[in-house]
Amino acid sequence: MQIEVRPVRRLRDSEQVRGVIAPMIEAICASGADLEHLRVVCDWIQYKSNFRDLVTGRAVPGDAGPGEAPAGSYEIAVDLRRCAAQAADAFQAAMSAALAAAGAPAGGPPDGRVWLEPWGPGRDSMVWRFNALYWQALADWEKTTGKEYEQSLPHGESDARNVAAAQELILDLFRVWDELEARRALPEELYVLELGVGNGGQARTFLDEFAALDRRHGRGYYRRLHYLMGDYSAHVLDRARQEIGQHREHTSGLVLEATRLSGSVGFLAGKAFLVYISNVYDNLPTDEVASIRGRNYVVEVRSYLPEAAADAIAARFGLPRDQLPALTARLLRIGPELLSESLPGQFPDTGQAVAFWQATWQALRLAERYVLLEGLDTYQLTPAVTGEVLRPLLSAEGDVRMHVSNGALASFADTLPLLHPFGRIVCHDLFTTGPGEYHSGFFGPGKYDGSVVNWVNGSLLQLLASRRGFSVQFSPFKQRPASHVKTMTAQVRD
Amino acid sequence: MMPNELFRMVLPTTVVGSYSVPEWLERLKTEYHQRRISAAHLTEICEVAIKAAIKDQELAGIDIVSDGELRRDNDIDYFLARVPGVHIGQRAKSDYYDYYEAEVTAPLPEDGTMALGLAADYAFTRTLTDRPVKFSFTGPFSLSRRIAGAGQPGSAYPDPADLVRALARRLNTEARLLAAAGAAFLQVDEPFLAGYPEQAALAVEAVNIVTEGVPVIWALHVCYGNRYARPSWEGHYDFLFPAVLCARVDQLVLEFARKGLADLRLIREHGWRKSVGVGVIDVKSSMVESPDLVAARVRRALEYVAPERLMINPDCGLRHLAPDVARRKLRAMVAGAAVVRGELGEPVVPASSTLQNL
Repeated sequence: MQIEVRPVRRLRDSEQVRGVIAPMIEAICASGADLEHLRVVCDWIQYKSNFRDLVTGRAVPGDAGPGEAPAGSYEIAVDLRRCAAQAADAFQAAMSAALAAAGAPAGGPPDGRVWLEPWGPGRDSMVWRFNALYWQALADWEKTTGKEYEQSLPHGESDARNVAAAQELILDLFRVWDELEARRALPEELYVLELGVGNGGQARTFLDEFAALDRRHGRGYYRRLHYLMGDYSAHVLDRARQEIGQHREHTSGLVLEATRLSGSVGFLAGKAFLVYISNVYDNLPTDEVASIRGRNYVVEVRSYLPEAAADAIAARFGLPRDQLPALTARLLRIGPELLSESLPGQFPDTGQAVAFWQATWQALRLAERYVLLEGLDTYQLTPAVTGEVLRPLLSAEGDVRMHVSNGALASFADTLPLLHPFGRIVCHDLFTTGPGEYHSGFFGPGKYDGSVVNWVNGSLLQLLASRRGFSVQFSPFKQRPASHVKTMTAQVRD
Repeated sequence: MMPNELFRMVLPTTVVGSYSVPEWLERLKTEYHQRRISAAHLTEICEVAIKAAIKDQELAGIDIVSDGELRRDNDIDYFLARVPGVHIGQRAKSDYYDYYEAEVTAPLPEDGTMALGLAADYAFTRTLTDRPVKFSFTGPFSLSRRIAGAGQPGSAYPDPADLVRALARRLNTEARLLAAAGAAFLQVDEPFLAGYPEQAALAVEAVNIVTEGVPVIWALHVCYGNRYARPSWEGHYDFLFPAVLCARVDQLVLEFARKGLADLRLIREHGWRKSVGVGVIDVKSSMVESPDLVAARVRRALEYVAPERLMINPDCGLRHLAPDVARRKLRAMVAGAAVVRGELGEPVVPASSTLQNL
């Protein structure tokens, strides 16, 4: 049996956390589980709202010859934060249930869960449709909660508004442009692209500072500047357009899919001097992969509502429980406004439909299972990147489970070709910066208001960039060094 | 003599040098650089790949073929790792295409007895095809840009230009060996020059050292970089002139497909009277050009360069293109060139039946 405790600092510091370990072993020994093939991983899930149960069981299949049953093992995943706050008997009961579930036949345990989707890799899960709906129908969500998106952020304001950070970026641009101008190699049009515009605060701050600094610099760069704002949400983009005020002549707004940039801003290839991205990557679909005992797996997930929560939602909205999956799918397809229009009996107004959305989202959990990867090259991370790029990360760290950050990787890979030879990507986000970090922390997924949050596998982005001739550096977000946010800078190497 | 006269062709088609490196070959090269397969095995693998690359070019109808530079890890290290006196501390790489960190701590030995092995590479290629072979190698200016240790007081080369000249002398020795092995068409590549336009005169001086006393057709290829299928620099070819007029080469091989054909005017304005290899295939895009587009580009080039001085090639090496894309691009280039050749009243004859075994 193998027990992996990831939050080692908390284990050392907290008697409560240590207090979980002995009852855990008691429960395992009492269960009659095959200890030789059992692995227990203990995380500290810092997101109070997340997708995990207290204790979760997962089957880990092994290799099998033709006609043979795979010689697999079990994994029990424990959330130490919540377990430490539980009574011992409740925790032991959860452990027993999880151990039973890990050995249960495919289809899951008969514990009254309401399954909302079939098994599939994480990136295909409906949690991402929930996430997309949040951005598309943000106004409805905000109206119901009475709280604006930016207020949901931990510090109540986007990092993008930071004036000092904007000035630093602009002065760096001026330095590069001055050098190119001296060599008659500066193009007439100077492109800056922002992906994920929030409420327009970054654009406003950047353009205000740009205009002011350019007046002092005296080279007329503001006249040549094209600031392109790209966002998935037309609503967000409209709001950002209102924010930029007098800079409208220098800006364009584009509704685009961050993971498929070549189709929308392909015309920028080789022209963008700065691509600015703030808190977008952590919000894009991702798979997780794992290397366990020398084999590679992709983690498949399946959304469900726990029995009690499903009953509560059904009762609150006067719905038969078995209709919850279809109604959830419908909500995700047409949004709360049309859901209310189409089912006025259940949802008399949009607010009621949003309340259904919020209740479902709040209750939603993800079951997980490991699926063996036959070969890394058969696993497509993005349409253009195979799992081969993962090999150095998976082979160097022993047993490890990590994000693939498929959406971020696709977006990043599609952004690199946009850069001018002297251009760069500046990205503020939550990054892991070494595969070893996954041994000591939990990096998502969690729920952030109505959206999904995942840390981004920075090492993977670094590796991909390296294979494409770019260097990637990570540094603390200078203007708020105490936060988890890091600044990633990518620019041409060699 | 113009290259076209030697090859007895109008608008001959050729490649710049490198050929598509399939992903499996990249992996194997990386395995070698991580010491997981032997040099002997890698050599065998590369030789199989070279045979396939030549066959691909022949099937596409390319008149003057190359070995695809498939033995090389990149445009620099294959040479620097073999130049006596260049020190490379760490020879393992996490990816084969990465550059080594090379340095010189003492002047390069000038005895000229240690060959870089390029003549053997050429000789191997020569046995594989009846078509003329172009053999390319990176020029002294670009090689020097990846060597540390020059330009500092007290260093081996306080004046970095002297390192460029020393490398040029080494390459001249190699060129003589190539000629002795039968090479008739050699090309010096200067992929870094566009990044240092103020040093064009030094680069040309060094090229002249390389070509000195080597009686072959010489081409000089200058592009805006093709590292990872991206240009390393932007700008215009005007930096080459007038310095390049002094280059003792027979042909300038330039990229036009990606950049547009505007710089063709420089050929006429500055009175370049020798051959031009005109880039009509964008090697940084996987979109395959149509033969019509190729033909249009060739016609446009003919407004500035007479047909007997024009050779048709891609912008640069094809190394970053997927194999299928590379094949289709070459076929489109050959078809487009044939259209214009037909318009000029020239017979469209398969290359292998008209060319000498050069």
